[in-house]
Amino acid sequence: MKPFISIIILWLFPSGIFLLLFGLFYQWFDRKLLALLQNRVGPRWFQPLADTIKLLSKEEVIPDGVNSYLFIGLPLVALAGALTAALYVPIAGLAPTYGFPGDLIVVLYLLSLLTLCTGLAGTNTLDRFSMIGATRTLTQLFSYEAPFLLALLGPALVAGSWQVGTIASYAQNHWLILTQPLGFIVALVGLMGKLEMPPFDAPEAHTEIVAGALTEYSGRGLAIFNLGRAVELVVGLTLVSAFYLGGVSNPLWFLGKTFALLFIMVGLQALLTRLRIDQTVGLWWRYGTLLVLVQWFVMILV
Amino acid sequence: MEPNFPARSFTIPIGPQHPALKEPGLFKFVVDGEIITGASVRLGYAHRGIEKAAEERNWVQNLYLIERVCGICSHIHAFAYSLAVEQLANVQAPPRAQAIRTLVAELERIHSHFLWMGVSAHEAGFDTLFMYAWRDREKVMDLLEELTGNRVNYSANLLGGVKFDLNAAQVQSIRSTLDFLEERTRHYQDVVTHDEMFLQRTRGIGVMTRSQAEVMGAVGPTARASNVPRDMRTIAPYSAYSQFPVQMILDTRGDLEARFEVRLEELFESIRLIREILKAMPEGELTVRMPRRIPAGEAVVRLEAPRGEVFYFIKSNGTDKPERLKIRTPTICNLNSVVRLAIGHQLADAPMILAGIDPCFSCNDRMVQVSKASDGSEYSMSWKELRQHGIDYYKRLSK
Repeated sequence: MKPFISIIILWLFPSGIFLLLFGLFYQWFDRKLLALLQNRVGPRWFQPLADTIKLLSKEEVIPDGVNSYLFIGLPLVALAGALTAALYVPIAGLAPTYGFPGDLIVVLYLLSLLTLCTGLAGTNTLDRFSMIGATRTLTQLFSYEAPFLLALLGPALVAGSWQVGTIASYAQNHWLILTQPLGFIVALVGLMGKLEMPPFDAPEAHTEIVAGALTEYSGRGLAIFNLGRAVELVVGLTLVSAFYLGGVSNPLWFLGKTFALLFIMVGLQALLTRLRIDQTVGLWWRYGTLLVLVQWFVMILV
Repeated sequence: MEPNFPARSFTIPIGPQHPALKEPGLFKFVVDGEIITGASVRLGYAHRGIEKAAEERNWVQNLYLIERVCGICSHIHAFAYSLAVEQLANVQAPPRAQAIRTLVAELERIHSHFLWMGVSAHEAGFDTLFMYAWRDREKVMDLLEELTGNRVNYSANLLGGVKFDLNAAQVQSIRSTLDFLEERTRHYQDVVTHDEMFLQRTRGIGVMTRSQAEVMGAVGPTARASNVPRDMRTIAPYSAYSQFPVQMILDTRGDLEARFEVRLEELFESIRLIREILKAMPEGELTVRMPRRIPAGEAVVRLEAPRGEVFYFIKSNGTDKPERLKIRTPTICNLNSVVRLAIGHQLADAPMILAGIDPCFSCNDRMVQVSKASDGSEYSMSWKELRQHGIDYYKRLSK
């Protein structure tokens, strides 16, 4: 019976198929809402899914001069990382499937795997746009990662545990957004940086470097990278809403809170101009990190 | 303009096909990390041989052809051509026709500046402004369609006049559209001068000093943003502009922000001018009779297109066809500044600096000089050889 349950957990729910579809649905919501705010029509509800199916069925062109194992393997690693991270967070308002003390750090690193793989995929190809895109991706990784980590460690500190499940159940009785507003802002904006959403889309600024690190990707590789990003969107939203917005104790709360967060993120995407990469780094190290440190200082004093 | 870049330099090609460009052109940027250390431009991808084609057609047919030099400022080309031919034939269009031509030219300026604002915002990654600017641009296009029957190539001009008249309902709809656009322009002006994030991408970027602008021969709003008083409507008023004077908009800063402000201020000026024209629209005929054969002679006309000075030279030999037609569009004058100004900026600023001059590549491709790849010597073809080359080429393809 036990292996059977494990298979269900890994393939169907909460990881696996469910999460992929759910991620694509969130991606649709993001695109549709952004389109409406920008006075466009936007995609139909199944568009991200249709795109994925179409891309998966297309031929994958492996360009000259790349290590083909890496070229094929990197998207898989990225998606696997994001799906694994989902096992340790309270997806859909249910308790995390697995957990051990200190799994928060593991989740955060699994989430960084996507960015790392994107960067490696860019440097793996000989394309000039990919090289610049990869440099920017990795530069951006080093700028938002530390503040984002510190922002998520704030709730861990007050909960007295570094296990996602424990922090989430602690946060159910405490709206940490009220006590740690700075941490919440940094975590939310950090998530946008992680997902390379506007205004942090310098690594894939298509008016400069076409599609950034993923310029050479088409077909399956592109689809899998995109799925990885969709899953990461859900996992990231779950983490931030579970930690800061009074927990996600049931599916209804989960949907409401994650969509509310996504709503704010879409609003910011529509309002802000793309930052140059030097401005991104400056923003995170001059303001982001400082804000979190101020937050920590206050927490230590109180 | 083939560059002499140092060996082993890392160049980023923007073009001939690139998402930042809406038309083909090749810009090579040498980068050191993110900093641009060298730049070059290569044109000629959209050469259509319009000048040569014009020599094969008669004066009236050319009007149709010339309107298609540019896809954005179509009216100004037909306007310039008509003025030049009228100058050769020594006739003058009636005052009402002149006023209608000027009115359409100003409506075109509004649509072009809205288009430009959208494209520049898109290059900066501010897609919301892009979408809204283009939504409002539709209003002008609809208006132009209502007046002339066409959205892009209005075909308003005739040799010796215009094709359509304004009725009271159209005047009313111009007025109401202008009210709407004036309000929107005020809003966009507020956005581009106060949005901190957007200002980070425009303020102090691509600064062109007045002397640089003069040396590089910049024209149009690009030059006026660097405080160079160059506006054909003011310094050499043509058509109805002598009756309805325009105030030149100048800015001293010379950066991208200044170019935004100059163009937006020009929108207000255009709106004001159109209102003036509607208020004091001269009555009378729409056309005068043109001679069938244009007398021999030469004519030069300089007009202010939305992007800057348009230059037309026509030589007539007294037949029903022009002997020589020379067109110079503003983009070719401004492109040089992109290559100079981009150096020292970040790669992310390059598309912005490029968009800052409001480039239009297809209209500036007047001549292609072919040099042999083997020894670099120049190579030219006669019209006959070129025709034969085309026939052979397609025969080869179809085999």
